[in-house]
Amino acid sequence: MNFKIAIAGNPNCGKTTIFNGLTGARQHVGNWPGVTVERKSGHYKFSDNKFDVIDLPGTYSLAAFSAEEAIARQHLLDDEPDVVVDVIDASNLDRNLFLTTQLIELGRPLVIVLNMMDMAEEKGLDIDADTLATLLGAPVVPVVGRTGEGLDLLKEKILRVATEKSQKTRSIDVIYPRDIETEIERINSLVKANNISNRRHRWTSVKLLESDKQTRDEVRDLDNGSQILDQTNESVDRIERLFKDTSRAVISHARYGFIQGALRECVSENLNDPTDYSRQIDRVLTNRWLGLPIFAFLMWLMFKLTYDLGSFPMEWIDMGVVGLMNFFSTLLPDTMFASLIVDGIIGGVGAIAVFLPNIFILFFIIAILEDSGYMARVAFIMDRVMHNIGLHGKAFIPMVMGFGCNVPAIMGTRILESRRDRILTVLINPFMSCSARLPVYILVAGAFFPDHAATVIFSMYILGIVAAIATGKLFSKTILKGMSKPFVLELPPYQRPTGRSLAIHTWERGYLFIQKMGSVILVGSILVWALGYFPREINLERDYAGEGKAITQNYSIQQQDLTLKYDASVELSRSNYHSQMIAFENSASFLFLRSQYDSLRTHISSQEKSELFLLKQTELGEITSKRWIGRLGKVFEPLIAPLGFTWREGVALITGFVAKEIVVSTYGVLFGVGEDVDEENQGVISGLRSSGMTPLVALSFLVFTLLYTPCLATVAAIKRETGTWTYTLFSIFYSVSLAYGLAFMIGYFGRMYNWLS
Amino acid sequence: MLNFKKPRHRLSTESTDGLRLSDLKPGEKGRITEIGGSEQFRQRLIELGLTKDAEIWIDKYAPLRDPLELIVRGYHLSLRGMDAQKIAVERIN
Ligand SMILES: Nc1nc2c(ncn2[C@@H]2O[C@H](COP(=O)(O)OP(=O)(O)OP(=O)(O)O)[C@@H](O)[C@H]2O)c(=O)[nH]1
Repeated sequence: MNFKIAIAGNPNCGKTTIFNGLTGARQHVGNWPGVTVERKSGHYKFSDNKFDVIDLPGTYSLAAFSAEEAIARQHLLDDEPDVVVDVIDASNLDRNLFLTTQLIELGRPLVIVLNMMDMAEEKGLDIDADTLATLLGAPVVPVVGRTGEGLDLLKEKILRVATEKSQKTRSIDVIYPRDIETEIERINSLVKANNISNRRHRWTSVKLLESDKQTRDEVRDLDNGSQILDQTNESVDRIERLFKDTSRAVISHARYGFIQGALRECVSENLNDPTDYSRQIDRVLTNRWLGLPIFAFLMWLMFKLTYDLGSFPMEWIDMGVVGLMNFFSTLLPDTMFASLIVDGIIGGVGAIAVFLPNIFILFFIIAILEDSGYMARVAFIMDRVMHNIGLHGKAFIPMVMGFGCNVPAIMGTRILESRRDRILTVLINPFMSCSARLPVYILVAGAFFPDHAATVIFSMYILGIVAAIATGKLFSKTILKGMSKPFVLELPPYQRPTGRSLAIHTWERGYLFIQKMGSVILVGSILVWALGYFPREINLERDYAGEGKAITQNYSIQQQDLTLKYDASVELSRSNYHSQMIAFENSASFLFLRSQYDSLRTHISSQEKSELFLLKQTELGEITSKRWIGRLGKVFEPLIAPLGFTWREGVALITGFVAKEIVVSTYGVLFGVGEDVDEENQGVISGLRSSGMTPLVALSFLVFTLLYTPCLATVAAIKRETGTWTYTLFSIFYSVSLAYGLAFMIGYFGRMYNWLS
Repeated sequence: MLNFKKPRHRLSTESTDGLRLSDLKPGEKGRITEIGGSEQFRQRLIELGLTKDAEIWIDKYAPLRDPLELIVRGYHLSLRGMDAQKIAVERIN
């Protein structure tokens, strides 16, 4: 048989841990249709039956206030899982059972998992699972998700409940105070007249009494819909008059009453303060004075580790990529295909692949911070700051990650619960200056502001932060206002992360990076390669080969002349040489002639080299300008001319759209020093200086580079996390406009007030 | 038909006098007497166990004085000062 299982529970109760424990590695991560709430599904086999498991989003209730709640509720109501597995944090029963009361009313076959039994024991709670099972009318299985203890029993119970389900539906109801029950009964007598699927009469009646909008809409279409709604209004009115509160609050309150009644019978606590050690740790980590410095230090450490540890495998990968390129270029004949493979695919994807170690290390450290419970403290500490731009404290983490790489940072916005917060954080993240932009700053600042390079670079970072904050404020007051949820944050006790869960978290995110970004980068690299490769037939204005030959010839004549002169001088000198003591070859006059000759030769050949180099540079420049990429740059030239940019900047910015670090190598190609340049390359620097760029234009260029869309991979990440092209395209449009606007103003006011001249 | 959401009986949360959750100091205990604010806000807090009559214990304030952390029904929850201000409490020992 094939059964459908849904795992429900509060956020942080260990659902995902149970899910992983049940399904092992056989799982699939995707999104729920229409929304970007992660949807995890998997399956397992147990005594010849197959169980398809879905991990529902963590929710406190089924009120459908948030996207997560709406999804969980819709799945439970419409997809009718054979068994609902309700995961409960045994160390926090009161609040976790609130959701359970709603699941009981829902009427699907239920298995209750008492997870985190280890924590409950530590806390001094003694839970009588059998009594709890009787009171709730569903099997209760104590487990420890972290160790997998009790999972076999859980599988057994699930099977039992799944196969029994046809025989009878639930027999136990959540009992409310008499006055409420009377009203429920009044509504229910009318609801019962209808054949609602799966006889969810009581659920419907209670939800109606709770003024649940969705249920009201559903009921309206029933035959006696208006009668039911009239009765509902009357009942709601009576309850509200009686209890002096909204009926929804009254019922929620009553649920807690039911829970407390049940717990009195099956839990005995002899409280040794549970979270005592957490409080001790917090005394330091969230301390009034130490909290922020410690946090800053940990962030610094995170970066340090990410880049320092990452640099070793980075070099290996880099060597591997170069080796692969060499291997293929010797293996393949020099054709378009070879160029596509070597320069396009291997080179392009390799440029991103070198960041993989950094990204995995970053994800690993973040997994540690999350699993240990420190991440919740980060939100606690930084909330005050983030609140200023209308965001939750947790949003600080992706912002900091953005300094490393915007792609994992944008993926990291998943730690935020509200969609509005996620979108806002995603939209401002690209302004955090990622590490790929640094080489561009170093190159351009080094060329134009050699004495103040560090200051210029630092101000780029600051400008990025300012842009992010201003944008955050702007958006939270305009397009994304009012959707914010009340700030509530649970602070779970500190725990030592398990290797298994760290591995799973790191791999899940890292794999997404490889998968999604890999495909986008591949396409992007091929595109840029093609733009730079075609068209093949180019009419060059000058005969570069001929000119080159002429130069070589000219210099070899000069060399010959020099040698002739030298020989003549030597002969002359020899004939005048009379000393017997020292051989002529050792004499001062000969050595003088020799050294003069050598230095002249070197001088001539270096002159030749530099002339040939200049020619080559001009040639490559002309070739590039006539390939598609150069033509594209020329097309954009009128558009960016107001900024003082030439077609070269156009090309650099277009390729920079694929990945920022490409800007440097693009300039390398444009100035004919080849692709293999780094940011300190003198050829590019002198090329830039002699290209007519002024320091003011250079500053505009830097600002533009900082602010416009970081790279294709970021675009892919934005699309993935916001789930729509609307926000993705909006993000591109907004960043490019901001970049253009600011770069233009710098140029305009700079010329007006003669800055930097 | 459309009035199902609004409480028709004014709740006494508008009063500005009286003790608020945000007035309690770390280590102090209180009992909730009333929750104000929007319907959604109230409902969210009730779901989290911050019901009328629930006992709460202020654990600490964040380094920048906001948010605050409290213990309710045996677990740790953090609220912003401006939200805590909407919760009326009485001090208990
Ligand atoms: N001590 C203890 N910790 C556990 C147990 N089960 C899970 N955890 C930890 O609890 C934390 C939350 O677990 P998750 O599985 O991510 O919780 P979740 O319910 O899926 O959380 P959301 O995805 O936010 O809804 C993790 O750090 C787990 O390692 C357990 O039985 N005992």
